[in-house]
Amino acid sequence: MSDPQQRTRNGPGVTRRDFLRGSGAVATAALTTPVPSLLHEAAAQKTEEVVGLGPKGVPIELSVDGAKIKNTIEPRITLLDALRDYMDTTACKRVCDRGTCGACTVLLDGKPVYSCSMLALEARGKEIKTAASLHGDGKLDPVPAAFVAADAQQCGFCTPGFVVSMRATLDKNPKATPAEVEAGLAGNICRCGTYEQMRHAIEALCKKGG
Amino acid sequence: MATSWPKDRRLIGKDIPRTDGPEKSTGRARYSIDMNPKGLLHAMILRSPYAHAHIDAIDVSAAEKTTGFKAVHEINGAGKEVYFAGDEIIAVCADTEEHCRDAMRAIKIKFTPLEFFVKEADALKNPQSKTISGPAKSNVAIGAEATKGDVAAGFKDAEKIVEADYGMPVICHQCLEPHGLVASWEGDRLTVWASTQAVVGTAQQLAATFKARIPQVDVKCITHYMGGGYGSKFGPDIQGIVAAELALKTKAPVKLMLNREEEITVGGNRPSAYGKIKIGGKKDGTITAYEVDCHGSPGERGGATVNLGLLPYVYLDTIPNWKRKHTVVRLNTGIARAMRAPGHPQNCVLTDCPVDDLAAALGIDPLIIRRKNLPPNDDKVAQSDPTAWLGQRNNIYVRELDLAVKLSEWEKKWHQPGQGGKGPIKHGIGMAIHTWGGSAVGNLGDGQPANDATVIIDRGGQVIVQSSTQDLGTAQRTVSAIVAAEILGLKVSDIVVRIGESPFGRSSGSGGSTTCPSQAPATLRAAIAARDDLFAKIAAKFGAKKEDLVIEEGKVVDKASKKGLDWKKACAMLGMDEAKGVGAWSSNMANEIDPDKKILVNPGVSNVQVGGVQVAEVLVDVETGVVRCTNFVAVQDCGLIIDKLTCESQVAGGVIMGVNYALFEDRIMDRHTGRQVNPDMEFYKLGGIQDLPRIKVAMVDMPERGVIGIGEPPTVSTAAAVGNAVFNALGVRVPYAPYSPENVLNALAKKGAKG
Repeated sequence: MSDPQQRTRNGPGVTRRDFLRGSGAVATAALTTPVPSLLHEAAAQKTEEVVGLGPKGVPIELSVDGAKIKNTIEPRITLLDALRDYMDTTACKRVCDRGTCGACTVLLDGKPVYSCSMLALEARGKEIKTAASLHGDGKLDPVPAAFVAADAQQCGFCTPGFVVSMRATLDKNPKATPAEVEAGLAGNICRCGTYEQMRHAIEALCKKGG
Repeated sequence: MATSWPKDRRLIGKDIPRTDGPEKSTGRARYSIDMNPKGLLHAMILRSPYAHAHIDAIDVSAAEKTTGFKAVHEINGAGKEVYFAGDEIIAVCADTEEHCRDAMRAIKIKFTPLEFFVKEADALKNPQSKTISGPAKSNVAIGAEATKGDVAAGFKDAEKIVEADYGMPVICHQCLEPHGLVASWEGDRLTVWASTQAVVGTAQQLAATFKARIPQVDVKCITHYMGGGYGSKFGPDIQGIVAAELALKTKAPVKLMLNREEEITVGGNRPSAYGKIKIGGKKDGTITAYEVDCHGSPGERGGATVNLGLLPYVYLDTIPNWKRKHTVVRLNTGIARAMRAPGHPQNCVLTDCPVDDLAAALGIDPLIIRRKNLPPNDDKVAQSDPTAWLGQRNNIYVRELDLAVKLSEWEKKWHQPGQGGKGPIKHGIGMAIHTWGGSAVGNLGDGQPANDATVIIDRGGQVIVQSSTQDLGTAQRTVSAIVAAEILGLKVSDIVVRIGESPFGRSSGSGGSTTCPSQAPATLRAAIAARDDLFAKIAAKFGAKKEDLVIEEGKVVDKASKKGLDWKKACAMLGMDEAKGVGAWSSNMANEIDPDKKILVNPGVSNVQVGGVQVAEVLVDVETGVVRCTNFVAVQDCGLIIDKLTCESQVAGGVIMGVNYALFEDRIMDRHTGRQVNPDMEFYKLGGIQDLPRIKVAMVDMPERGVIGIGEPPTVSTAAAVGNAVFNALGVRVPYAPYSPENVLNALAKKGAKG
């Protein structure tokens, strides 16, 4: 809803959102500028692979819930949008789209991340797991099973994000106390108000030991 | 034949997990926003950055040259005015979301900014100004006064009088799945996957939109899963119509779902309500008079803000003298929509908070004043219909107050206001009470019920319940399965429920907590009809009279011969046929009187009106102004409970939504730019799991009353209870929600200044 007159491609007042989503030039700059947080990434991933990508689409292969998915996407695209728009993934939802609500949470090499707040290109070569992976061979993982048993979900739109965060918390510390599991969910927001039922699910899981 | 619920209930009222729980919790459930049909295009709407402006010119020529551009659809063109920041101007369609944004940036619009108001106080100071659409002469519309009794005499009679300000700001629905839909045309047939609370209504509104151009237009709306509505999603809206227009224009499926900023600024909000209240009473707890002069803003288009007809809330029939006046202030802000119990939370704050202040002035426990002023029973009604609310409401409230007092340990925890402890962290406890309707929807214009369900039993024993109704997270899919399984002697998991597709029959929008009381009885009747159809079709092969066949768990049994057959074997006797039953339900059927016996034809199937009592406990830090709600008790009745687990979950959810708007939620408008300062989720605060209280839910089960809706009531009195708890902690009334550090510290400073 910004005034279109004020939104130039490279002009001043570029928001964080534009930075991530903006034109190819901006996104390329993001990948080539030695921003501290990206340095480590660049070193690990051979800088020359990234330099000069875009604005046109580039071929990308992501490993999602064990499947290798290929597509051609623009380098400016977030991991969330790549998963949803280009790989038909349903278990990460776009809600706040700026790292607040946790509905887009996925596991990246086992670590929970907001997929709205990183570029798809950054996820290359990594194992992406969504909540959908917690239903292997028709058997429900104990975390989503506890959500079902306690009715810790209503509209269900935030639920996969919560489930991924809780799974990650318990994976990291199978002996986590209910308070520690709650802390692990602090980056997720539910609007229907299922927190009390989530606490019931957490209590049941902590009794069972994750 | 009269309809009734089975007396012995195997499943109804038990804790039953929602049937679609595994799909939702693992993210495999595909919501409307997840629909990606082949060849999908994306659309977005360019909106006004100004709170009020004249559109001088729109130039899309550069946009048309951008990569992936497909089409535009003008909503408000040159020469028109836009009335709030977010008002629609033109929609753009492109092959990807990224290209849509590129095209939007390339559109050039010339505006002439015009005068606007985005704050109630500013508009009230300028009642001669008009900055809004339509024929109204001013932004400010002063409503008529209404009076009962003799208010002046009532105040003269009072031993204490309190005069103070109370209120709550505009809040936003913040549905996590945004408004919008995916539209796809095939010839004259339009299919939309919409995020809606009204599957049939959305199809009808879209059909009406295209009827003139496409006389044979046939619209199908699908909503298998829905990511939250809370009253804000009753039709295609402009964005849905625009998506269908662009799909028609581009001959391709088009997705148009709002982004977060749009969802907050145009996807719906609840009106504010601010009131000057005067209340008087006596030491025995009698309220002698109540006077309210309130105003609020429903945004640009107008509409009600409080539920004025129900003020003073709950005690309306008890308080002998009252006077009420309401002013609607239209602002250059997004349009208000119904939100979970429209007007009621506002009413509750404008009544139950002053009631506590009066109790404090009188030096009595607020429990005493509540008990004293509970609405009376109507004995005449009780005689003619023992299930009716009016005949027993006093008893219900007393029962609920007693339970809430016990569960919250009120007698132990309540203290005089301001006596919440010696340190900087003060303890407080507060209470509020509420009511809501929640009946079935009535007949439509054609005299037929608005809701039906179909139950089909096939020769393999498979049972399908089919209805066009929607499940917003309310577990309607599970409710349908429970009811059919109960009647047919099966397990809940044996039932296939197909809902959320407009051709599946008649259903009303999910508003007013009406879905369960409409759909559960319809499913009951459909299951009974299907069962009887099965009996009629297999009786001969069974070697029994159809009247002698009954259902036992997993079996069809002949009462006469005691012969029983396994369900599947019995259904196999259908041969090439199937058994089928259609059932409908409406409030008209619930209220139908037998002309000879003068009694209800279908007593106790569905009902109307519930009560509830809520108690909040808080800790308030007087140094930082931070309020933490630590414990909460919600006592609620809703007649016959179909699924206790999901029912209690909804009550706790209502409380959490209420605590959110008691403590955190506030749509903040900037009077200089005319825009919302916090159209996001980081500054428009919603609590996380660590921010919200432990909640005890106690359902007062009254199965004899039949089914009543539960979606709305449990969020009504929450904010008032929290406000009263804060008052109990501080001994100072924080006049306006949210009871945020800013508002708490301001109230403390004001008291300090007064000494």
